[in-house]
Amino acid sequence: VNFDLDTDQRDAAAAAREFFGEQASPSAAREALEGGGPLRPGRKALADVGFLGITVAEDAGGAGRGLLDLAVVAEQGGAVLAGPSLVTAARAAVLLADVPELAAQLADGSSAFAVVDGSPDGSHPSVDAADATTFLALDGRSLVVGEGVATPGTPLDATRGLASVRLTSRRVLVEDAGELWARARQAGAVIMAAEDLGAADRAVALGVAYAKEREAFGRTIGSYQAVKHMLVDAWVGVDQLRSLVWWAAWAADSAPGELALAAAAAKAQAASAFERAAETLIQVHGGIGFTWEHDAHLYWRRAKVDRLLLGDEAEHLDTVARLAVAGALGA
Amino acid sequence: VDFDDTPDEAAYRAHVRQLLAEHEGELLRSQPGKEAPDARQQEAELRRTQRVLAEAGLVGVTWPRAHGGQGGTLVQQAIVQQELARARVPALINHIGIGMCGPTVIGHGTEDQKRRYLARLLRADDVWCQLFSEPASGSDLAALRTTAVRDGQDWVVNGQKVWTTLAQVADYGILLTRTDPSRPKHAGLTMFVVDMHAPGVTVRPLRQMSGGSGFNEVFFDDVRIPDSERLGEPGEGWRVALTTLMNERVAIGGAGSDIGLPVEILAAHARERLPRLEPERQVLARQAVGRAVVASLATRYTGYRRFTVLSQGGVPGPEASAGKLAGTAAGRLVADAGVRLLGDDAVYAQTADGDDTWARSQAGMPGIAIAGGTDQVLRNILGERVLGLPPEPRSDKSEPFSGAAR
Repeated sequence: VNFDLDTDQRDAAAAAREFFGEQASPSAAREALEGGGPLRPGRKALADVGFLGITVAEDAGGAGRGLLDLAVVAEQGGAVLAGPSLVTAARAAVLLADVPELAAQLADGSSAFAVVDGSPDGSHPSVDAADATTFLALDGRSLVVGEGVATPGTPLDATRGLASVRLTSRRVLVEDAGELWARARQAGAVIMAAEDLGAADRAVALGVAYAKEREAFGRTIGSYQAVKHMLVDAWVGVDQLRSLVWWAAWAADSAPGELALAAAAAKAQAASAFERAAETLIQVHGGIGFTWEHDAHLYWRRAKVDRLLLGDEAEHLDTVARLAVAGALGA
Repeated sequence: VDFDDTPDEAAYRAHVRQLLAEHEGELLRSQPGKEAPDARQQEAELRRTQRVLAEAGLVGVTWPRAHGGQGGTLVQQAIVQQELARARVPALINHIGIGMCGPTVIGHGTEDQKRRYLARLLRADDVWCQLFSEPASGSDLAALRTTAVRDGQDWVVNGQKVWTTLAQVADYGILLTRTDPSRPKHAGLTMFVVDMHAPGVTVRPLRQMSGGSGFNEVFFDDVRIPDSERLGEPGEGWRVALTTLMNERVAIGGAGSDIGLPVEILAAHARERLPRLEPERQVLARQAVGRAVVASLATRYTGYRRFTVLSQGGVPGPEASAGKLAGTAAGRLVADAGVRLLGDDAVYAQTADGDDTWARSQAGMPGIAIAGGTDQVLRNILGERVLGLPPEPRSDKSEPFSGAAR
């Protein structure tokens, strides 16, 4: 058994950590929320560094790598609340696997894609739709591409670029695309869980750092078991989430039969573990954690939004149970 | 990432499987979901099973060859555990001796003690128990009050131990005592090997809330132990005990094995029971099943990550405590989902057709959250040693034990 990242993946994670550390930050997320400041790093920078094409085939201008390679990068973006999301890149790369000219536009950033959930005549709020120009949607059983009108709501977390979309043109790319669509959505759920992993991990680290520094009643608050145990429970949830994200991302490439179960398990765990980490971050900080200036609420906003996107915890738990009952665990 | 064995691991696994197949008829088997064999009622079969496995080279895999072990790796040990579980061989009767007492003798015993005890322990010629916890010292083990007083060439022991697994069948135990109450609590302790058949040793089984009697109270009334049975120097007992406790962590936190019933048993149970529930209850039951499956898989795959560290030659760190903490939580969710699937039968100790699998699993979980490090002690370990948070200030570490703070 070797359930660990390889050297290339570790190097890629380190490089991504550096890139996102320079190009994005919770402050940028706050500015986007306050005055509609730009998403950081933004589509162009993500395309230029090659992150949008990690899972796009090489002959379409991508890197032709696996979902785990994208997941380790996405985790680093999540840590600093980067936008737009690599979820869109993951889903679109699956949907456009047999449409190389569009896949090339995804990888090089020449088209701004969004994948639309729900009806193309009026969709659910969809990730990164607000500033997209090219929309992928499921129209009946067909995968379609087209232009559209995006209507954003008042953002709870501005970094997700959520908007409802009505397609104004549509061209069929794949007939009978139900299975393809489901697989793309599973890949998207895995990458969202990876971004949530990075964000939750950072939230726990920020909480731990403050608990080592802040004093009350004559000693450091991290020495009180009430505070310590809260942080430990959040950390355990994150550590377990990492295992499920790696498993699910690995399954997408190497054990496709396990992807549906693993993706649902990872997304369900992401919803609860990230939410717990963000709530804990605020609670450990006390009053300062409830202020607008502090970064804690930016992680909290991301957690409250992500837990409902691409299926909420209850939906994924139901999927896990149905698959397990149908024999997905083996035996 | 690769979930398959390395060629070396695969070869060793095949070797283990072949040995188990060769000795199939001589080994006790347990039924999935049924009660584990009772140490008292099936003592002879359990001792024989371990002896057969020992002679095949499958006991004490990581022990040095000089002491009857195989000189193998932690990964080989884990492979043997997995294959024994797969073959439904119940836990070895001497699992406490192999996991904790033996390594303590290896670490701190005299050559004479090692020669007399270790090979017999591996063959279950002698069964061992660990005499640590007392009525007034559980998590705070160093607060123990059982005394040993020097008298010529002997020590005379008085006091009481409790929660002692296997004491009812044990031949020997490692016994932690207080030999100098004038020293601070950790400094006045001494460890011994005690003959459980010696005059003055009384074992009384304790009935657990789940109905079984796996552990015991042990009373010591003027029990004489020769000084040659001391493990380590007088006053060094805490250091010796830490060897035992570190080995206990490895034994429990090792490779992410399931705590409670495996989730595959839950899935099969749900397949049978879900259709019998009313439709609106099925929705709720699936939520419970889904939550239990996610928690179990998360614990299992986290175990694979720990196992990978061992596989690459590392040693288990304090993160291993997270395996027991999360595994216990997952075990509770599995048991709870299993019970809920029983519908109206969920409020009874067994189903109408006499099956108590889920009720028994449910009743076992509170004990698992206490044994081998309570959930709260594990959270302290993780908070202090993994997250680096400061410990609670303590006043009991420096004063004489006979003084005020205990």
